[in-house]
Amino acid sequence: MAADPNDHDTLPADAPRGAVFVCRNLQYAYLDRFPALDGVSLDIMPGEMVALLGANGCGKSTLLKVLDGLIHPTSGTFHAFGELVTEEHLEDEQFNMGFRSRVGFVFQHSDAQVFSATVRDEVAFGCLQLGLGPAEASQRVDDMLAFMELESLADRAPFQLSGGQKKKVAIASVLVMNPEVLLFDEPTAALDPRTQSWLADLLSELNAAGKTIVHATHDLHVLEQIATRCLVFSEDHQIIRAATPEEILADHDLLLAANLVHQHPHTHTKTTGTITHSHVHPTTGHHE
Amino acid sequence: MRDATAPPETPAWLLRQPVALCPCGCIGKRQKASYLERTLTGGSDLMHQVMFSEDVARLPGVLQRLDPRVKLVGTMLLLVAVGLAHHITTLLAAYALVLGLAWWSRVALAFFIRRVWLFIPIFTAIVVLPAAFSVVNDGDVIVHLWTWNGEPEGLTSQGLFSAALIIMRVAVSVSLAVLLTITTPWGRLLNGLRGLGVPRLIVLTINMSYRYIFLLLEAVGDMYESRKSRQVRAVKHDAAARATVGASIGTLVGKCGHLAEEVHQAMVARGYRGEVHALDATKMAAIDRAAALTSVVLAAAILSGDRLLGG
Repeated sequence: MAADPNDHDTLPADAPRGAVFVCRNLQYAYLDRFPALDGVSLDIMPGEMVALLGANGCGKSTLLKVLDGLIHPTSGTFHAFGELVTEEHLEDEQFNMGFRSRVGFVFQHSDAQVFSATVRDEVAFGCLQLGLGPAEASQRVDDMLAFMELESLADRAPFQLSGGQKKKVAIASVLVMNPEVLLFDEPTAALDPRTQSWLADLLSELNAAGKTIVHATHDLHVLEQIATRCLVFSEDHQIIRAATPEEILADHDLLLAANLVHQHPHTHTKTTGTITHSHVHPTTGHHE
Repeated sequence: MRDATAPPETPAWLLRQPVALCPCGCIGKRQKASYLERTLTGGSDLMHQVMFSEDVARLPGVLQRLDPRVKLVGTMLLLVAVGLAHHITTLLAAYALVLGLAWWSRVALAFFIRRVWLFIPIFTAIVVLPAAFSVVNDGDVIVHLWTWNGEPEGLTSQGLFSAALIIMRVAVSVSLAVLLTITTPWGRLLNGLRGLGVPRLIVLTINMSYRYIFLLLEAVGDMYESRKSRQVRAVKHDAAARATVGASIGTLVGKCGHLAEEVHQAMVARGYRGEVHALDATKMAAIDRAAALTSVVLAAAILSGDRLLGG
């Protein structure tokens, strides 16, 4: 029997088996006027490390919030672990706890995420909300603080931390819940090079441990390390290409069209005298 | 017509050199910092003070070692005792006790006294001083200032005594509260409130208000500094200035709304459904029980000493 197209509870017929997330034709607009997603369809498989690439305002963060069930598409369907995710379904306590314990979200702005009185309380928040007992939660918090090298900051207030430390606390507060899927919004944004490198290593390590990772970025220089597949957004809020990082980085026309690199004339005076030509900038600091 | 694919041309005026500042200082005039600037600077200083206070809370002093619940209950008892005292002598003795506790807890006394006396009693004095004048309350005029219908008018002994009593009461009470907050890290203080049975949602709300006040203070500071960096002439207090302040307030409200939404989403993302669960408070030690008993004895001593002084 053919699947009923209006039956949104069942997975779409073309959904791959065992997919973690299945999105079909997602539409979303802020204030019903400013489009953020326009017909976005994607599948995320277990163990994948997927990078959402695109210019500012193309819809990456909105998609991540949809994948975390924080906002809901105006049309289209989103299935997680084979179940339809809607506002109504998330009202159900059992479904909500199951979903929240399996999906963790690290926000771009750590200040929004790090709201507790101390680092210890912050890291404990998630696992206590999901029903872990105080003893087990305490043990997990201690383990996580040690893993993230945050022990010396355990009793510090969040406003006493640097940007990099806040990011570490935000990641620890999500990792402590041991979710299967980790969503990161611009994880390397506004971090110093050493913290960026540490974070890239952490993402690789978590992925190697079996975690599914989806992150939004327009940082191309660590892409090959932190992604096994890329989804490129156009500035029209649509996914225009899905490919490996190597394929994406090799496609200059695509990168230019998606506003991920720029092209401009400039001079090289230090090494070769004054020669003017045009080229793309996949990395920062090229002209130093 | 300009080619749509070509980069926009730089306006000619942007390429001209700006008018240099005259080194002789003939342009404009020197002005003191405005009230708004001083308020913002004060807010920023307060933020640094709070950060400094956390350092005090980490010193190995007596109060720092106590369970926050004991400190909260002890402070409440002493506040009630001070509030019920009617003699300046009693209040002076209580103040000496607070200073002793501060010294014992390794708090720099100059910093502690300045923090209390520079602000709050000054505002209290502004409120209570009118009551010291004979035109407000009858009494024996001891400082003659003017004559009204043949009667001497000025400061009365009763009024000055009442004002001094209230100012001392406020000073001791504020000193107690400041001592509690600077010797207890904010997180432990909130744990103490939780341990005393204050609902977790209220504790979380207090915590988040405290946490984000600083963030918003930073936002206000940034907005003000960005405006100041573009300000060439002295600020006029006209309709345009009011409109700018109004726009800034509107922007800040918008930022607050956005931040509140993001914080809520961050909580929901980690399983928050309206009820907050938290790690349990620590257990009390022998020193805490002794401190609890001492605070009861001290509160009783203040009250009985005050009663012995009569009146």
